[in-house]
Amino acid sequence: MTGLFEFLFKHRPVLFEEGEFAFLSPWPAGAVVLAASVLAVAALFTYGRAQARIGPARRGVLVGLRAAALLLVALAVMQPALVLTTVVPQRNFVAVLVDDSRSMNIEDADGESRAEKARRLLDAEGALATELADRFAVRWFRFSDAVQRADGGLEAFDFSGSRTRIGAALQHAAQQMQGVPLSGLVVVSDGGDNGEDRLGEALLPLRAASVPVFAVGLGDEQVEADVQIERADVPDRAMAGSSLLVNVQLSGPGFGGRTVSVVAEDMGRIVASEDVTLPDDGRPVSAPLAMKLETPGARELAFRVASLPGERVLENNEVRAMVQVRERTEKILYFEGEPRHEVAFMLRAVRHDEQLQVVLLQRTAENKFFRRNLDDALELLGGFPSEREELYKYRALVLGSVEAGFFTHDQLEMIADFVSVRGGMLLMLGGRRSFAEGGYDGTPLEDVLPVTLDEPVGASPTERLVFVKVAPTPAGARHPATRIEDSAEASAARWDSLPAVSTTNLLTGLKPGATELLQGSVVDGPGDPADRIVMAYQRYGRGRSAVLGVQDTWLWQMDHTVSLEDQSHETFWSQLLRWLVSETPDAVEASPSSASVEPGEAVTIEAAVADEGFGAVNGARVTARVTTPAGDLRTWPMEWQLDEDGKYAATFVPEAAGVYEVAVEAARDSVILGASSTSVRVAPGTVEFRDPRQRRTLLERLADETGGRYYGRDTAGRLPGDLAVVGGGVTVREERDLWDMPALFLLLAGLLAAEWALRRKWGWA
Amino acid sequence: MAGPGLRRFSAAAVAGSAAAGLAALLLAQVGEEADGSGGAARVVVGQAGADAMWMAADRESLERGLARLDRPSLAVPPASGRTWATAAREARSLGPSLAAPPAGSRPPAASAVLRSNPPLAARPPAAPLISPQRPPPEWHEFYFTRAAYSSFRGYGRRGAWATDYPKADRQFLTVLRRLTNLDAFAYENAVLLTDERLRRYPFLYALEVGYMALSPPEIEGLRTYLRAGGFLVIDDFWGTNQWLQFEHEMRKVFPLLPIVDLDLDHPVFSTFYDIDEILQVPAYGRYWGGRTSERDGYVPYVRGILDEEGRLMVIINWNTDLGDAWEWAEQPDYPLQYSTFAYQMGVNMIVYAMSH
Repeated sequence: MTGLFEFLFKHRPVLFEEGEFAFLSPWPAGAVVLAASVLAVAALFTYGRAQARIGPARRGVLVGLRAAALLLVALAVMQPALVLTTVVPQRNFVAVLVDDSRSMNIEDADGESRAEKARRLLDAEGALATELADRFAVRWFRFSDAVQRADGGLEAFDFSGSRTRIGAALQHAAQQMQGVPLSGLVVVSDGGDNGEDRLGEALLPLRAASVPVFAVGLGDEQVEADVQIERADVPDRAMAGSSLLVNVQLSGPGFGGRTVSVVAEDMGRIVASEDVTLPDDGRPVSAPLAMKLETPGARELAFRVASLPGERVLENNEVRAMVQVRERTEKILYFEGEPRHEVAFMLRAVRHDEQLQVVLLQRTAENKFFRRNLDDALELLGGFPSEREELYKYRALVLGSVEAGFFTHDQLEMIADFVSVRGGMLLMLGGRRSFAEGGYDGTPLEDVLPVTLDEPVGASPTERLVFVKVAPTPAGARHPATRIEDSAEASAARWDSLPAVSTTNLLTGLKPGATELLQGSVVDGPGDPADRIVMAYQRYGRGRSAVLGVQDTWLWQMDHTVSLEDQSHETFWSQLLRWLVSETPDAVEASPSSASVEPGEAVTIEAAVADEGFGAVNGARVTARVTTPAGDLRTWPMEWQLDEDGKYAATFVPEAAGVYEVAVEAARDSVILGASSTSVRVAPGTVEFRDPRQRRTLLERLADETGGRYYGRDTAGRLPGDLAVVGGGVTVREERDLWDMPALFLLLAGLLAAEWALRRKWGWA
Repeated sequence: MAGPGLRRFSAAAVAGSAAAGLAALLLAQVGEEADGSGGAARVVVGQAGADAMWMAADRESLERGLARLDRPSLAVPPASGRTWATAAREARSLGPSLAAPPAGSRPPAASAVLRSNPPLAARPPAAPLISPQRPPPEWHEFYFTRAAYSSFRGYGRRGAWATDYPKADRQFLTVLRRLTNLDAFAYENAVLLTDERLRRYPFLYALEVGYMALSPPEIEGLRTYLRAGGFLVIDDFWGTNQWLQFEHEMRKVFPLLPIVDLDLDHPVFSTFYDIDEILQVPAYGRYWGGRTSERDGYVPYVRGILDEEGRLMVIINWNTDLGDAWEWAEQPDYPLQYSTFAYQMGVNMIVYAMSH
């Protein structure tokens, strides 16, 4: 198509895009137009006077054809031309950046790797390199996770870079070329950018300096057959023995309809597996893997899927991640406003869980409290906490059937802060004194809760009562709190087998941003028949809040339809309570900037430090003690980051592969504020092999946003010519005639031939 | 509501009983005419000496009874030193081995003991009668649920389970609702052990179990109820023979689970009220001349059956009659000391069941 265009119009389209149209004729344009008009009027007059049996319409067509031909001649006489700004040969520079990352080793369908394609394309003796060298001073760069000059040619490339950071590479090259007339940057890559830089930010200075980027894309845009694990959503921390549900996202274009088995390994031991059928259209599919990690410490999890026959890229069949498995007792405060069976059964359900300490504060009469599972006799001696430091000792707060009026306004605000500032979890249970029925509308907790508090309907709990059959929503089916069996199907069946439970709360409105996990369809009772939200949660500030709107989950244990061996009730409460505390931060929290790095790649350990009231502490003494895979212990002081209160950081470069365990301690004066541990996995990564297709859209974006062009491997030969026209630098004005375009002559001949043919047909010749 | 009777009882409370405030509250609620001034005072006078005498008599009678039966059928003699705490520890260490009898084993041969010394008239047990059987009309968190079981004999046609029914239940609920903020249904709720609704009521009360004679479906119903998480309070049975009959029946439910004494340091004695003494609560009309016992049941015991993990499933009030104290607390000639204790014990057992 481009060839045809070039034949007809003499020049490539890019010249028309970049050039300006002008007439080079020395004659005044008015004179030429006047002459053409006179000739056209003469033609009109001639046809008008002719005596023939021909209608006015046909006469008009012939006149029009003749006039158009005359105007075309006039146009040619005016000497139309393209005025271009082209670079001066050898006066301008071009930076050629070649992708040196591992993904360039991927073999395409034609059996040739991208690296080989790049070598052939950019061979010093090849047409592209020669032509570029004829017109420009070429500077070569290689880039992956870093950028280097590579004037020795591609022979020195080893294509072993662990990451592709296109944005950083462009910025670096542009800086290197600062001060010289730069016509443009040429990027030769498969576009598999996986750096954390924002591409838009990297392109801004190039746009400002009018430096166009010319992208040459290598690699298949569609991979015929490849199954890959795209990601595994592993939390940073988990409780030992907790049910951990990891969503593994995988795709398998070319393997639609095939069932593959996704396996999770904990340090080599298989802890979960799930069979997944790949969709026909190659879309990603999610595989929820339920597992329990029993061994505390830094654990390396591997998620893999077996290779399938005909698969070309095997490196993307595995993803690894680190998780910090904690074994410690997590304290939950359960405040219940009245004696309820739910208390006894809930406590009984988690009685064997040594990592949960459910501290019970139960109001048994007005101003009379029963306390249980205390650390010491003084705990909660004054009833519900009135000081933040006292409440913030707990990692989650469960409110049972207790009316809002019991609390002071300060206490309600403190509970809201417990969620938003301390990052704790609030769970409100259903009951006759909960939610709107307990007067929580209009209080600080109304905003915290994930449901809207509708006006109660019915005068008494008996009139509001409904029994609901509980079922997980799609989100609940794959949530660690509500998935009560290993597989989703078995979990759904188990939920279906449980008896209906009751609620007196009208929970029907979910707040925007909240997630519903359990829903209840009304099966009986005099209350409002609308379906109920049984369980939902939302993020609120730093923490989360959840509701469980039913009041007798103990029926899942006691009802006659439930067998004595059934563990649904125990499983549900154990998982729910563990989930409540799973994300609650400590006063000191450490995390690496990247959970997995390459040997020799710098990693930053960050720590958020707060006091017992969870106010950020800036003047703390924070140290990071790193245990290397060889067992050596190194200590780094962590510096306060000026941009954020309570934020500290230290950077080190791990040289050897393996797991680096990091223990962070913070102290202020002589008071220890807290400690936290985290880990960094140091190993050659497989990130380069995720999605092995050429990312053409990204490369086109580079070109579009900077005024450059995108080329495939077969069209890359045009790059030097286009660059000469489009690029900046030292330029010269150049005029290219258009009057001798074949298209012009063909059109003129066509008009005259058409006129002649019509006259013959209509008998006028 | 306050009448001359109330004033008299209040005066007696000020005079000597530490729990008189509770009784006054009860009576204000019940509103019955009280007559029997001096009842509380009679209880107080000479109580300590009488206790010492009865303790000795009790020990002797137990030894006599056991000798007569050729074997110690009392699961845990009072002086064994085995308490709920040690039993719970043992149960946990034994684990599930206690859950089921070994293959081929049989329950302890209490029936053989009974054949040699039948405590009851040999007549066929009668099925309990409940009329009408229907769910409570209102929803509440708590129903004071009474176990309706088969028995050899009883009061009226309904059976032994219906002793003091429903007045004791109603009066107890009246006080329970006033003293605690428990959302309790105000009326009685009797349920057959074979009724599938039983497992909707995690608290169960049974009395006069000395006449209990459970049918196989009732045994299964009670066993699954308790195993699922139910809590049973036993009350109002007296003496060796009635104990033997009760134990015999419970052995059908749990052949291997021991029955243990609950010491005063058990949480059930401090969950709501701090109880520092187990009183023998006499039946109304049996309180003659300061005597509180019936048959050879001279010493009151609070015992329990714990599951393999140490959970208290059954609490047994033997040689005492809490139900009568609830039922007749408004009577002026019923001593406040006992009704107060009975209400305290009742509240504690319920709050315990709903928090442990």
